[in-house]
Parts: sequence; structure tokens; C-alpha cells
Amino acid sequence: MKISVQTFANLRDYAPAGAGKFKLDLADEATVADLLAALRIPAAVEAVLLVNGRRAHPGTRLNSGDEVTLFPPMEGG
Amino acid sequence: MHGWCGKIIRVDLSRGRITYEPLDPQVARSYIGGRGLGIYYLRREVDPACDALGPQNKIIMATGPLTGTAAPTGARYVVTTKSPLTGAITCSNSGGNFPAELKKSGHDAVIFEGGSARPVYLWIDGERAELRPADHLWGKTTHQTDDALRSETHAKAKTAVIGPAGENRVLFAAIMNDRDRAAGRAGVGAVMGAKNLKAVAVRGQGEVALADPAAFKAVNTKYREAFKIKTQDTPPALRTHGTAITVVGTQSHGVFPTRNFQQGTFEGWESIYGETLTQKYLVRAKPCFSCPIACGRVTRIPDGPYQGEGEGPEYETVYALGSDCGVDDLAALTKANYECNELGLDTISMGSTIACAMELFEKGHLKESEVGMPIRWGDGDALVRLTRMTARREGFGGLLAAGSLRLATRCGHPELAMVAKGLDFAGYDPRGEQGMGLAYATSPIGGSHMRGDPAYFELLGVPVAADPHTWKDKPPLVAKWQDLFCVIDAAGLCVFFSVRYLVEQDLMVKPVGITELLNAATGAGYTPEELELIGERIFNAERLYLQAEGFTRKDDSLPPRITREPMPVGPAQGMVCRLEEMLAPYYALRGWDPEGRPSDAKLKQLGLR
Repeated sequence: MKISVQTFANLRDYAPAGAGKFKLDLADEATVADLLAALRIPAAVEAVLLVNGRRAHPGTRLNSGDEVTLFPPMEGG
Repeated sequence: MHGWCGKIIRVDLSRGRITYEPLDPQVARSYIGGRGLGIYYLRREVDPACDALGPQNKIIMATGPLTGTAAPTGARYVVTTKSPLTGAITCSNSGGNFPAELKKSGHDAVIFEGGSARPVYLWIDGERAELRPADHLWGKTTHQTDDALRSETHAKAKTAVIGPAGENRVLFAAIMNDRDRAAGRAGVGAVMGAKNLKAVAVRGQGEVALADPAAFKAVNTKYREAFKIKTQDTPPALRTHGTAITVVGTQSHGVFPTRNFQQGTFEGWESIYGETLTQKYLVRAKPCFSCPIACGRVTRIPDGPYQGEGEGPEYETVYALGSDCGVDDLAALTKANYECNELGLDTISMGSTIACAMELFEKGHLKESEVGMPIRWGDGDALVRLTRMTARREGFGGLLAAGSLRLATRCGHPELAMVAKGLDFAGYDPRGEQGMGLAYATSPIGGSHMRGDPAYFELLGVPVAADPHTWKDKPPLVAKWQDLFCVIDAAGLCVFFSVRYLVEQDLMVKPVGITELLNAATGAGYTPEELELIGERIFNAERLYLQAEGFTRKDDSLPPRITREPMPVGPAQGMVCRLEEMLAPYYALRGWDPEGRPSDAKLKQLGLR
């Protein structure tokens, strides 16, 4: 299934060719953890995980067409 | 004393007299400094019923025990006064280098009282302070004033000044220190202007005496190392892209205020957020005193109609002068930011007031003949022009200078002012971020995010993530974070470092690291629990002052747009802020009665009775 992914700041480093926004093919019933593994994001790298604008966690099940957003925790605005 | 200098400067502007007084060690221990000292002196000395722009009001500029030390982000001071914008207390916080320089001059705080017949500035040269004429500085911008002061006092002097906006008593005028850092909220600059006080310049070459220098060094190193280790894997986004990267957090959650909070997603967000700023206009990152993060932005717009150079924009400015006005032109909003800095305006209230005017105009409640030009959503030229007109109170700028609530009320639609207690919201729509709604409504200064910022755990994943859409769990979290922010603001630290490194990394944020730093600096022997109690004391003292000013439960409120109009689009679609459901449990756990008044038992526990 196709998932839309958008990464920001240092997490861009794990996107294909540094693109911020891209599509990723994942097996049906894949989870956010599978997506992180596919992008080779090490466990030590912290990320805020959103699926369709809602807070997610590594165990969150993905569905075809989902939009996933990844950004580092931030110290403030 | 250690950590504290033990000395305060009192400036009677009416008589032109300067006196020095000791800081009572018991008061220092009980209120720490900064925001704590501010409310302590305000309650003792300023009649809550006074005219904020009259001579009875005072301005308390206070550092904390860690200001001017090597503690990470020991750079802050707090300006406390009665606000002319809201009629409530305000305590506005700023970093840069001026606060550390003030501390190193050997003073914990400066209290200004009365009013001068002629423009003056205060020059603090180490232990000695004097008032000097400032007629020649009146009318100058903040940058021009900083240049002039450093040429006539000392090349390395640090300054806190007002621009034309403060002189003209614009009700949301800021005090700008180190040219581009702002004690911005709720009109502290207008109070200076009303007192004919143009500036403070300070040269301080002393060092802050520490109770246990070796222990202080060890604690300081421990937390700086923790920062280094954490940022090896995750470089701080704030250093790379500035606070404007926070757009990612708000837009993705659907709480990025757009067109006067009509919705929480902005179609033009990618044109104005931090990474675009980095690519297009960033010259360099600029840290405040003793800060390892360096979120400040020196920027330059190389050409075009908005050509210029300065600092910013911060996230709050990108929201207020950007999405909230429908402006997706980064150059225009950055130029308006430069103008705000040089004229001495709070970018949040400036943007929010223009956004309110734009909605009034678009809906026909404000006519083109009253404004002098059309002001449509997204008009970057209007943004820059209105900013200049506001600072100088030219034409329609005179109405904007009174702030969004007065403008909207004058047009018959007070509900279109996005404020709590008359202070414009920061850049978070509480419909998709329930805790922020409670924080805005119960903040002692009104619609500020910096009085216990739930965006950290609701949006930004710090220290851990909580669901922004739930409300039943928020009252205890908001109260805990409000008290924590009192401690941070009293200690002289910046929230940005403190919430990730100097507190336990769970939602209860016990201030362990702050305790260690304060104890090594002051020798006071605080426990984290005592600091939490002091935070609660400061928050309740501010509440008492609000009550004395006439604020009641009905003022712990949000506009109907936030509590009754469901969010129309985006991830928070269909939601309203459940403020009423949160308020009662919040009051109860704070030990306040159903009208929001602290109980006698609570006040006794906090030593406020």
C-alpha cells in the first residue's frame, strides 16, 4: 500500500534523496514501526509521529493513503 | 548573599532620585527572583486600581539568581507592571545580553516609580546609577537609540529601550533589549513611555558570586553534557531553523491559527516556516547569553520591496503577521517584524490586531473610508504599512494602537478579538489543543502561551507526548506546568532549555536540575518540592493581584469562536475547546473556590495570608 510521508528538520536526512515529502510502498497491515524501519531511522533518533494529523506511536497500524508526519521534538516556539 | 546580589536600585522618576536598598534574604528565598520578585513588589507597592499609564504604576525589572551565571540559558529577566492593554498584571520575559549585564552590575532588580517631566534614561555603570536627559533620543528607533546610548555611555553597554511605539503609548508597545529581543507582551513599553523613560543602559563587569563554585561547575557541566549527548543524535531544530520550525508542529495538528483563528491550517505554510526561512534569508543563528541552543535568527532580505536586515521572525511572529493575516509572503512578514523591532511593538499583538481588522474589513464592519485603504487577507503591503502607522498613531493606526479588543468593540463585534483577558493569543488554536485553552483562560496576564505552555506536551513531544484532543486529563497538567514556568521565570532561566534538560522527563516535570543549579548558586538548600511550592506561591500571588484589579471567574474565558464554533477543517475538524468542563476541576485542584478565588487554607499553605 502507498503511504504519504513528510519529514522535517534532521529527519529529512532519512528521506529518499533528502525530499521532504514522498510516497512509500509498505506491506499491507504495516505499522509506524515498519515505516521507521523502512526509512532506517535509528531508535536513538527521537521523532514526533503523526498519522493524518493525529498522534501515533510505533504500534499504530497504517492504512493505504495515510499521511504520516515526522518531526523532531522541539524546545519551543 | 550568593546567586543574588542582595541589592536593588529604586528610581523615583518624579524627583529624579536614585536610592539603593538591600534585597531581603527571606523574600529572595521565598520568591527566588525575576517573576517572583516582580509580583512581590507589585503587590506591596502598586495599587491594583491605579491608572497603568499614570505615575502610581511602577515598572519592576528583575533578574533571577541564575541570570548572568554560566548556567545554561541564564540570560533572562522579567518586567512586571500593571498592563495598560488589559488592566491586568503583566510580567514579560526576555533574554539576550542586557539581563546578564544588569546582574553583573551588582543589582538584582530595578524599580521605576513616578514619572519624569522630561525624557530620561538610566545609566548604570557598575555600582553607580544616574538619570540622564533623553530629549535627544525621543523619537528615535530602538536601533538608533541603542547606537546613541553605546556611543555616549560605553561601547560595550547593553541596553533596554523603547521605540516610537512606547513613546506614543501604543498599548502593546514592547521594551526591546539588545536591539531585537523583546519583553513584548501587554504594553510594558507603553508604561515606560508614559513615565518618559526612554531607556536603561548598563555596564556590569562583575561576576555573580556563587555559594559553591565547584558544585556549580559540576552541575552545569552535567546538564551541558546531557544536552550535547542528546543533540548528537537529534540536532536541535531550533538551532538549525529557529523557532519558526514550530509551524510544522502546529500546522500538522491543525492548530496553526489562520485568518484570525477562522481555521487551524494555512495553505501557505510552506512559504513561511522555519526551513524556508533558513533557505532564503538566514544569515546566522544568534544565541542569548550562556545559551547552548542558539534559536535567535539574524536574517537578511537581499532585494525587492521588503529589503532589509535584522532579527527574526520567531514562530509567534510567523503566526501573527503571517498565517493569522493570511500572509504567505515571508519577505513581507519579515519586514513587518523588522519594523516592529525598530519601532518597539509586540509582534504577536500587532499581527493579531491587524488580523482582527482584516476580518472586520472583509465582513463589512469596518469601511475602507475608516481605514484609508483596503485591507484584504494576505496583503503584505498593508501589513508593513499598518505596522508603521500603528507605532506613530497615524490615521487608522491610532485605532490599531488600542489593540484588537478595543478595535473590535468599537466596530460592534468584540467577539472577533482573539484574546483572553484582553491579551491576544499566541499561535495555537485551543480547539485542537485543549490544554492550551485552559492555559490561555487562566494565565494571569491573559492569552499567553508562556505561562505554562501545554504546546510542549500536546504538540511538540517534550518531554513526552500527550493527546492534544483530550480535556479531562489537562487541568492537573496545566496547573503543574503553570507553576513550573513560575520557577523558571523566577530563576532567570529560559523555558526552552529547562523543559528538556532541567526537569524530570515526564509530564509532572519535577524541577530537579533547576534545584541543583539554584542550590549551587545560592546555597539556599531548596528541594524540588519547595520550588514547586514557590511556583504555586507566585502563581497564586498573581491571582490575588488579578482579583484585586477586579478580575473574576467570567474573565477566565475564551471567545465564542473557540468554545462554540467547531473547527471547520483539518485534523481538529469538528472540535471546540471544552473550557467549561476543564475550569471547575482546575479550580478545585488549585484549592480555589468555584468563583476561582484561592481559599484561605491554600493562601495559608503558601504563606500569602
